[in-house]
Amino acid sequence: MLSERLQLKLYLEPSAHFELEALIPVFHRVIREQLIKELLIDVVDYSHVPDGPGVVLIGHEADYYVGALDGASGLVYSRKRGGPGPDARLEDALRRLVNVARLLEQESSLKWRFKSGELSLRLTDRLHAPNDDATFAATRAEVEALFGRVYGGSVAIERLPAAKEPLSLRIKAASSPSLEALLEKLGGPPAAAS
Amino acid sequence: MTVATTWKQKLAGQVREDWAREIDIFETQIELRKKGKVEEKLFAETRLRRGTYGQRYDNGQRHDGEKTQTLPYPSGELTKGPVTMWDAPGMQRIKIPYGKLSADQLDTLSELAEEYSDQILHITTRQDIQLHFIHIEDTPDLMRRLAAAGITTREACGNTVRNVTACPYAGVCSTESFDVIPYADALAFFLLGHPDTQDFGRKFKVAFSGCKDEPCGLTNFHDAGAIARTRVVNGELKRGFEYYVGGGLGAVPYPASLFDEFLSEEELFPITQAVCRVFARLGERENRARARLKFVVKKLGIEEFKRLVLEERAKLRPDERWTSFLKDLHVTDEKPLKPGSELAPGNYPAGFEAWFKTNVQPQSQKGYSTAKATLPLGDFTPGQGRAMAELARKFTGDSMRATVEQNMLFRWVSNADLPAFYQELSKAGLGSAGADHITDVTSCPGTDTCKLGISSSRGLATELHKQLSVISDQLDPAAQGLHIKCSGCSNSCGQHHVADMGFLGVSRNMNGRRVPHFQLVIGGQYKNNAGSYGLAIGAIPSKHVPKAVKTLTDRFVAEKLDGETFQAFVARIGKKEIRKLVDQLAVIPSYEQDPSYYSDWGDPREYTIGDLGVGECAGEVVPLVQVGLADSERELFEAQLLLDEGSSDRAAARAFSAMVLAAQALTREKNSFLGEGVDEIVSEFRTHYYDTKLFFDPFAGGKFAHYFFRAYEHRGEAGASKEGAHQLIEEAQLFVEAAHQCYTRIAGALP
Repeated sequence: MLSERLQLKLYLEPSAHFELEALIPVFHRVIREQLIKELLIDVVDYSHVPDGPGVVLIGHEADYYVGALDGASGLVYSRKRGGPGPDARLEDALRRLVNVARLLEQESSLKWRFKSGELSLRLTDRLHAPNDDATFAATRAEVEALFGRVYGGSVAIERLPAAKEPLSLRIKAASSPSLEALLEKLGGPPAAAS
Repeated sequence: MTVATTWKQKLAGQVREDWAREIDIFETQIELRKKGKVEEKLFAETRLRRGTYGQRYDNGQRHDGEKTQTLPYPSGELTKGPVTMWDAPGMQRIKIPYGKLSADQLDTLSELAEEYSDQILHITTRQDIQLHFIHIEDTPDLMRRLAAAGITTREACGNTVRNVTACPYAGVCSTESFDVIPYADALAFFLLGHPDTQDFGRKFKVAFSGCKDEPCGLTNFHDAGAIARTRVVNGELKRGFEYYVGGGLGAVPYPASLFDEFLSEEELFPITQAVCRVFARLGERENRARARLKFVVKKLGIEEFKRLVLEERAKLRPDERWTSFLKDLHVTDEKPLKPGSELAPGNYPAGFEAWFKTNVQPQSQKGYSTAKATLPLGDFTPGQGRAMAELARKFTGDSMRATVEQNMLFRWVSNADLPAFYQELSKAGLGSAGADHITDVTSCPGTDTCKLGISSSRGLATELHKQLSVISDQLDPAAQGLHIKCSGCSNSCGQHHVADMGFLGVSRNMNGRRVPHFQLVIGGQYKNNAGSYGLAIGAIPSKHVPKAVKTLTDRFVAEKLDGETFQAFVARIGKKEIRKLVDQLAVIPSYEQDPSYYSDWGDPREYTIGDLGVGECAGEVVPLVQVGLADSERELFEAQLLLDEGSSDRAAARAFSAMVLAAQALTREKNSFLGEGVDEIVSEFRTHYYDTKLFFDPFAGGKFAHYFFRAYEHRGEAGASKEGAHQLIEEAQLFVEAAHQCYTRIAGALP
């Protein structure tokens, strides 16, 4: 994956208990107790913005946010810089995303569940990954390979139509394993960000 | 076809040459700083002048609620300014002159927020756009992409002329004397990079207003404020401005002083230039807290200040740009996309009528209205940015305005289109009513991102918006029209002094712990171009502020006289009465009873002021000579790069350019009217530094100056060999070094 910048999203199961503001102290605790091995900087609350990024955990290499920029709530891993080489980027992103999603599922104050088999991918680098057929073809191949290996079976990929947006894909895996099982398949919780 | 691998390549030919060059220079400065070849303070001022600011925690420390954590940024001890770590995310301020945005520009801004920032664009209280959490190494490409869309970030921050603001209704307003936009537009670009605006000790803010009574231009708290006026002179209707100087908010607000009741349109530019020169000459530099123009005017008195300005004006070299723009004042006119029409009665979408009541105003042009998108705290997403851009393309054309109330104004909406316009706005999540009303609370970034923030202004504003929105339908119309503004500290970026109810963040020790508070500031007047400033009544615990607002609002509605404004009501009941309310709210439970009082709105961490840092708003005061000498060093570096690439002619040209910059930097100290022309620079340098032997080296005499003169004689000659270019670079290095030594020798002797 040529694009260093990407956003990978896991969707939340609809829930009567969903309160975005409850995430704020959780993200603060993630920083305080260094629950993920990345350089984390701050927590920003954008819950006042309709269909916005919601609550954002700002990091040096990547941000995590629970928001609804595409109209549906979910956890986004938003890589901004650094990371492993092109061949490992997507898998690294998935691993980190699943790791934090699992952490949030385990958080008793939230009572959240993620749809582990439904994701979206956006390549937020219009220079190296323009929203065109060539980028889509290359990305689709990479997604199919990774998801086939991790989830098993085939994966349904839909390219979202939006000329001015970054290349965006909706991904539906053949299965919906638990986040623990997924994380194990991906090699366990990630070490410090490369 | 070669695939572009950098934004510079991709945008080649799409960016104005001078802007492209400036960005290349900045990118080189970044590389030089990483190599330790640019001094920290100089680099800080350089990036500030490109709008690249620091943010909270950029000193590498953050209090996590229990202890201060170190943020181990990968670049180690490398800094981008005093106590500002290289990798720490920063804020990019983007000047939008008088808030005007085209659809294409909004699309570009949305892309940048998506790729480089935290997915949010923010409109400021000065009609700028800000993006947060930007890495400094992304800024050159960000600037290139903006430049390709016709936007420069130059002088967005630092000791410069900041964004020139203007009434967002200019040109469509029924109370204006005339459209001020051609003047604001021309002045913004006249002052941008002007030699007389490069040596301030502090920022300088300019505002335009089309009329006196409405608040839109807020000229009263600007360094230079111009209110459109007309006058009949010898039977002819002339345009001019009621011209004010020396206004400013900050910790102690000063109303501007009247400089001229009627400054002709021909004199607007030269007088403003003369004001800048006087400010550069007399403004304080050591004590940053007293370095604004307002202190100069206060100290001298307006009459003496005016005398000095007129004296300076008389010495100015005429500049055709002072009046050339007057030949076509329609160049900034907007053309509506659709013909005017009437709003048909009928079935409107749900919510339309409430939105229409607060967010729509008729224009002076029949058949058209302005319509506002209410942006909560001035924030919107890239998707919403694109949606607004599409709205402009579909309904109005390129006539959007970012407003100081942190909303987006659309002009030229044909009335019959209003319901459809509203519907599409709502689909994008931007259809809330209440723009510029009590629920639409203005706030600075505060403790969210600002190093100077003491209490969470945005957290408070969000909570006030939430609570007031629930009851807004039931509020008396008089209460609905109140303005609430929040600042995170006393610096007043939220403009709390001119609100009906203003709040500024402070901290208090209570029950042995720090507790976030806000000073209540009332009595401010928003109308009459921010006619007067409120005063602080007392500090209220942050968590009690919504109650204070509710109590004050209820009392105003219950007791106001017919037609009485909030300001008049406060004056009538007296501040002592208001103070009683503050006192009643001062007491809070102990920490053990309710710890929520000991943290701020939207932040569960135990409240601390330990994260306060050194603000960059004041920029760094770097003598102009040093800036020029640094520029010459950078040119030398680039000359070497060109030589390495095999471009001998260009390397030689760049080496000569380095010498010119060094000579210019020195010579400006002796001749403040020095222009940009090479012939003049060489001649003046010879007069002031060579003929006087000031430039002579104690051992080498005038040798290094000879290098400069010889390079001048042979400038522009093609066919430089690699050896010749190399030698010229060496000589240029010696000349620049000699310039440094000359400055060091004479610095103490300079007036």
